[in-house]
Amino acid sequence: MSFALVSLAITGLLAAVTWKLASDFLVAKREQGATSQAAIDARLVQDAPRDPAGADSEGLLTGLAGGGDITVAVRRAGTWTTSGHPIDVDALPDELLALANSGVAARQRVMLGGIPVLAVALPLRDGLYLELAPLTELDATLRFLSWVLVVGVGVSGLLGLALGGWASTRALRPLTDLRDAAARMAAGDLDARLPEQDDADLAPLAVTFNRTAEDLQRRVRRDVRFAGDVSHELRSPLTTLVNAVAVLRRRRDDLPLPARQAVDLLDADVHRFQKMVTELLEISRDEQIDPRDLEVCDVVDVVAHALATRPDVVLDVRGSPPQVPVDRRRLDRVVMNLLENAEQHAGGAVRVGVASSSVGVRIEVDDAGPGIPVELRDEVFERFSRGANAGRREDSGGTGLGLALVARHVRAHHGRIHIEDSPDGGARVVVELPWCTT
Amino acid sequence: MSTMTPPLQPDSVVATPRDGLPDARDRILLVDDDGRIRQALSLALDDEGFAVWAVASGEQALAALGRENTDVVLLDLMLPGMDGLAVCRRLRAQGDLPIIIITARSDSSEVIAGLEAGADDYVTKPIVAGELAARIRALLRRSRPTTDGGELWVGDIELRPDQGLVRCHRGGSDPTGIHLTRTEFRLLVELATAEGKVVTREDLLRRVWGYDYLGDTRLLDVHVRRLRVKIEPDPDAPTLVLTVRGAGYRAVGRADATG
Repeated sequence: MSFALVSLAITGLLAAVTWKLASDFLVAKREQGATSQAAIDARLVQDAPRDPAGADSEGLLTGLAGGGDITVAVRRAGTWTTSGHPIDVDALPDELLALANSGVAARQRVMLGGIPVLAVALPLRDGLYLELAPLTELDATLRFLSWVLVVGVGVSGLLGLALGGWASTRALRPLTDLRDAAARMAAGDLDARLPEQDDADLAPLAVTFNRTAEDLQRRVRRDVRFAGDVSHELRSPLTTLVNAVAVLRRRRDDLPLPARQAVDLLDADVHRFQKMVTELLEISRDEQIDPRDLEVCDVVDVVAHALATRPDVVLDVRGSPPQVPVDRRRLDRVVMNLLENAEQHAGGAVRVGVASSSVGVRIEVDDAGPGIPVELRDEVFERFSRGANAGRREDSGGTGLGLALVARHVRAHHGRIHIEDSPDGGARVVVELPWCTT
Repeated sequence: MSTMTPPLQPDSVVATPRDGLPDARDRILLVDDDGRIRQALSLALDDEGFAVWAVASGEQALAALGRENTDVVLLDLMLPGMDGLAVCRRLRAQGDLPIIIITARSDSSEVIAGLEAGADDYVTKPIVAGELAARIRALLRRSRPTTDGGELWVGDIELRPDQGLVRCHRGGSDPTGIHLTRTEFRLLVELATAEGKVVTREDLLRRVWGYDYLGDTRLLDVHVRRLRVKIEPDPDAPTLVLTVRGAGYRAVGRADATG
């Protein structure tokens, strides 16, 4: 843009100078020609034999005026004799005539009857000689010249704009790439990298950026893997725990009361612990779905199965929801976790809706709770988020991972999840799964 | 990972006959290098009604199997020394003793590798004895001869469920016997009984493996692959057990006797 402006300014200046020089030169040339012509003509008039009445010969004046569009006028003793185009002498500027009257040759460009005219006034011995040469031709020439210059400036400006745009895009592309890559990374795409740069100034920047991105990605992976590794290592002792507790539980009735209570506590928390480890493993697992695990399936089937053991929950199928490609086990987890989450935190689900949506299929789980405040609706999908249930987890038996896992599975299907108010005042979790997951 | 058990000395925590009678319970060999898991699982599976004896390595397992009667092997794939997959392959080469593998992660390629090495089913740690017992019972059910009479046909393959017999009538010569594992056999019987109709994956997983819902379809797919290798003229272009995309599997009906 600035490139175009500079280009416009330069060509404009050049054009203006050209215009000034050319027009001055042409006008001067024309004036000079007209003046010397007038001087010659004036001498002819001066020296011409006069008729007895002292009037100028009409023939001479006609001859002088003839051929061109020149108007010739002679004043003697206050009387004008004209030839050529009739003119109104009074329209001529007074200074011009006054100057000629005082014995000085004068010339001036004036407008007469809408036509630019060069007026040359020359003193005669006993009068005034006036020659008016129209400048129409010169005017046309100058007009053409000015038109050419204006168009030239315009074209050059446009060219400058185009060239500037092209050059700046080219020059700025690496920066645009950098900005895009940084934005992608900020949006969570840790695979974003910059292409290698030829530019000596930018190459180190790209290298540094890519190295930083790599470090970041490695660190994030390591963190995710750490959770997985911890859970992995916990599974052996957990297997021992779970099975030892199962043996104890089976003999619960043979135990004295305090031991029985201890076993009950142990049993409940070992199960929660086990679930947490399983879910942590699931959540730290690669989010990508193996395409071989995708299966076109009827969401209603999966929901109906999950609801088979929950007769109080209404299954509300609207229209004919489309079949979508899903990893059935993940979809099953999604539905199960949503129902369990409603049971643990919101008095249970009351209705599960399945309908088609603009992207594919829409699943709604309405609960009997008090709803979730708008400001907590994103937070509840975070791992171990306490959200609206702060301080109540110990009663719920939840792991704090259920909804995070749901969100992860939905994302893995390129679906969307959010929370609304249900018409009955509870919360409504809405999951949308697309037709196409690739 | 340390093992506190001296080699070649199976933990015999609970494998003792009760009431002076010979133990009629199903015998399970547990192969795991973690002594605590061996003990806890042995106790819990004993509660579930199985007689368990446990060893710490693949070498011990192979040696012990030569001596003792076993109905099911529970095999951890992560073993010191001889690796679990190798043990699995060796056992499969020796016969169709039911094998359940114990894997570290359900999403790993380990599951597929174990199934392809011949395992009938798998469980993932942390193992819960109750769930494991259900898997074992389903597996033992398939191991017993069924009482279904009559014969079934899939193309030129003849099945006799009452005798556990599979014969191939191909090429006009005398029928040749085909050896299928119990799981492969049960799978083929389920497909043949449908008489050419599609059987969904869920149904197969339920009827053969006892999963009440959404078993691992990899389990089924690997077994179908193994089955095809044994019965199809060209396993890469199956003509007997066909995949019906998005639905399940289908076995063709009886072929002309002239085949």
